[in-house]
Amino acid sequence: MIHGEQGGRFKPLTEKDINSIHEMTVRIMEEVGVKIPNKQALEIFEQKGAHVDHNTQIVKIPRAMLEETVNSAPSRVVLCGRKEEHDLTLEGSRTYSGTGGTVLNCLDLETGRRRPTTLEDVKNFALITDALDNVSFFVINVYPTELQLQEVDVNRFFHAFSNTSKHVMGGTYTLEGLRRVIKMSETLAGSPAKLRERPFVSFITCVMSPLLLDNKYTDFLIEVARQGLPLATPAEPLAGATSPCTLAGTIATNNIETLTGVILAQLVNPGTPTLYGSVATNMDMKSGSYLAGSIESGLINAGLAQMAQYYGIPFYATAGMSDSKLPDCQAGYEKAATSMIASLAGANYIHDAAGILEFCTTASYEQMVIDNDILGICLRAVRGIEVNEDTLAEEVLRRVGPGGNFLSEEHTIKHFRSEFFYTKVADRQSRKLWEKDGSLDAAERARKIARELLQNHRAEPLPQEAQEKVRADFQEIK
Amino acid sequence: MSEDIIDKIISNVLQGRRDKDDEGIDEGYEDQPGVTELVNEALEQGVDVEKILAEGLSRGMELVGEKYETGEYFIPDMLAAAEAVGAAMEIMEPHLLKKGSKESKGKVIIATVEKDIHDIGKNLVSIMLKGAGFAVIDLGINVPASRIAEEVEKENAGLVGLSALLDTTMPFMAKTIEELENRNLRDKVKVIIGGAPTSDQFAREIGADAFGADAFAAVNLAEKLMVRGGK
Repeated sequence: MIHGEQGGRFKPLTEKDINSIHEMTVRIMEEVGVKIPNKQALEIFEQKGAHVDHNTQIVKIPRAMLEETVNSAPSRVVLCGRKEEHDLTLEGSRTYSGTGGTVLNCLDLETGRRRPTTLEDVKNFALITDALDNVSFFVINVYPTELQLQEVDVNRFFHAFSNTSKHVMGGTYTLEGLRRVIKMSETLAGSPAKLRERPFVSFITCVMSPLLLDNKYTDFLIEVARQGLPLATPAEPLAGATSPCTLAGTIATNNIETLTGVILAQLVNPGTPTLYGSVATNMDMKSGSYLAGSIESGLINAGLAQMAQYYGIPFYATAGMSDSKLPDCQAGYEKAATSMIASLAGANYIHDAAGILEFCTTASYEQMVIDNDILGICLRAVRGIEVNEDTLAEEVLRRVGPGGNFLSEEHTIKHFRSEFFYTKVADRQSRKLWEKDGSLDAAERARKIARELLQNHRAEPLPQEAQEKVRADFQEIK
Repeated sequence: MSEDIIDKIISNVLQGRRDKDDEGIDEGYEDQPGVTELVNEALEQGVDVEKILAEGLSRGMELVGEKYETGEYFIPDMLAAAEAVGAAMEIMEPHLLKKGSKESKGKVIIATVEKDIHDIGKNLVSIMLKGAGFAVIDLGINVPASRIAEEVEKENAGLVGLSALLDTTMPFMAKTIEELENRNLRDKVKVIIGGAPTSDQFAREIGADAFGADAFAAVNLAEKLMVRGGK
C-alpha cells in the first residue's frame, strides 16, 4: 500500500458549520429536490420510497433515506494498483494525490506548442505517472483525438493499464464502451470475482449543477454501481454561476448533489464502494470563465473534505490546478496553494493535482514533473513535526555542545533522508554550478527530467497471456 | 577469500560504517564489523596492503563519489564514508611504511584564512582529503598568512588549501599567496582555494592554482595537482 499521510489538521469549518450545512442539505433534499432526467433512476428512487414527480423529473429524498444510504456507503475504499505496493486505502483523513482531466490538448514536450492529444499521450502520461513518486494514481487525463468515439473507451483504459501499475480511474464516453472496459478489466484480472477482490480500475460519473443529474452519466452511474466496482460521483458547482456565490452556499450545493449520486449508487447496490466528490470552483467575474486555479476552489474542497469525513465517505477532491497557459510562476503558486490546503484538510483522493494547465484544458509533461515536487512538499507539510526523545535529540545536542556541528553525527545520518524533503526540480546549487548547467529555469529543468523518464522508465508489463486474450477479444485496441 | 573481505570493505565504506557500532544507511548491518575492523582482519589474513588500499578503500570512496554525483548520496553520507576511510588509513599507515609504499598521496596543509572563523566547509574538505588518502594537516580557523607559510616550509607540504566564507576575508587568501612568494615557497607548493564568495576568476586574479566548488572538486583538484602532476 502507498502510505499516504494523515491530514485533517486544516479545518476551515467548525462543527456548528458542518451541522448547518448538513441540515440545509436535508431541507433542500426534502423540500426542493433534485432533477434527474433519467427514467431508470426515477423508478429506483420511487421504488425505494423517495417522492418522485415524473412530469418535472424532480426527486425529493427523505431524511431517512439519506441517513440509511450514507450508512451503507463504505467508509473505507481500497483502490488497488496492479501491484499491491500501489494500493490506496481511502478512509478518514489519509490523503493521496494524482492526475485528472480529461483534456484534449497538451504542450508538446519537444516544441512546447499546444497540440491535440493522441493515444500516444495516454500512454506517455500513464508512464510518467508510473515513474513519479508523489503522483499516487492515474486518472486518465487526455483524450485520443484521432480515434473514433466507439474506440475511445477501451483504448484509453487498455493503454493506461499497460503503462502504469498504479490505480487507474477514468470517465467513459459510451455505455457500450463502459461495459467493454469492465469486461476487459475482468479478463486482465483473471475473472470477474478477482476484479472485485482487487479493483485496479474505477470510474467517474459526474453530477451536474445546480441540483441536476445528467441522463447519460446517470446511466453510467447505475451500470457501475450494479457491477459493484468503485465509483466517484463528483459535482461541479461553479460559485456565482451554477451555485450560490458564497463558498458556504457552494459547499452546501455540492454536498446535496454528490450525495444524490452516492444515494443512487447505494440504492442500486447497497455497500458498493462510492466516493463522495467535488470538482467545485468559482466563476471568473471578469470573463465569465471557469477557474481552475483559484484559492476559493481550494477552500471549497477543504471544507468538503470535512463534510465527507462527517459522513464517513471517502472524498474524491479537486486541487492543484492552474489557469496559466504554461508551466510558469502562476502555475506554481496556484497549484501549491490549493494542493496544500486540500491535503492539509485530509482530502482522500485529490485528482487533477498533476499535469494540468489552462482551466483544465491542457496537459503538460514538464508540469507533471513540477507537480510531483509540489505534491511531495504538501505531503511533507501534512506529515508535520514529529516530537519524541529521538527527534528532540537532547543527547546529541549535549554531546556536540557549543560551537560544534552536527554534519557527521550518526543522528544526522539516521534522520536527514526522512526529515527533509528532497525536490527533483528545484535548483539549490550555487549560482556558479547553476550557470555551468546552462542557467535553466524550473520548467526547462523539468522538461529534461520528463524526457529522461519517458525514455528510461518502464512499467510492470501486463501478464502476457491476459494481454493476448484481451487483444484477441477487443479488436479495436490499437 | 581476499576478494570477500575486499567486497565487505567496499560495502562498508559505502555504508559509512567506521566500526560495528555504526548503523549505516541500509538495514542488515547490525553488529557486523565496520571498515576499521575489516581492515584489521584483512591485514591479519595477510591481504596485500596496497590491494586493501586501492581495491577496497579507494574503490569504495570512488563509488561514494559517483553516488554523490548522481544525487543518491548526500553530504552526511560522504562524510561518514570519508571518516571511516580516514580511520582505516591510520591503521594502514605503519604497514604501508614497512612495505616501503608511500603512506599517503601527499601532504596537504589546510586552513580558514585570517579573520574568518567559518569551518564547516573547510572541515568537509579536510575529511574528504583524508578519506582519499592524503595526509592532511588542518590548521583550523583564523590562521594568519605567516603561520600557513611556516607550516608549509616545516612540513614540506605539496598542497595548500585555503578557505574563506566572507568577501571581507577573501583578500587574506591573496596575502597568504604573497607570503609564500616572499619566502620563495610558491614554486614548491600548489595552492587551491574554496568557499562561497570565491570563484575560478578570483583564483586566477590572486595567482592560486585552482578553485574548487565543493569538497569533491577539492579532492579531484588535489589528485590532479599532486598525483597526476597537474594533468
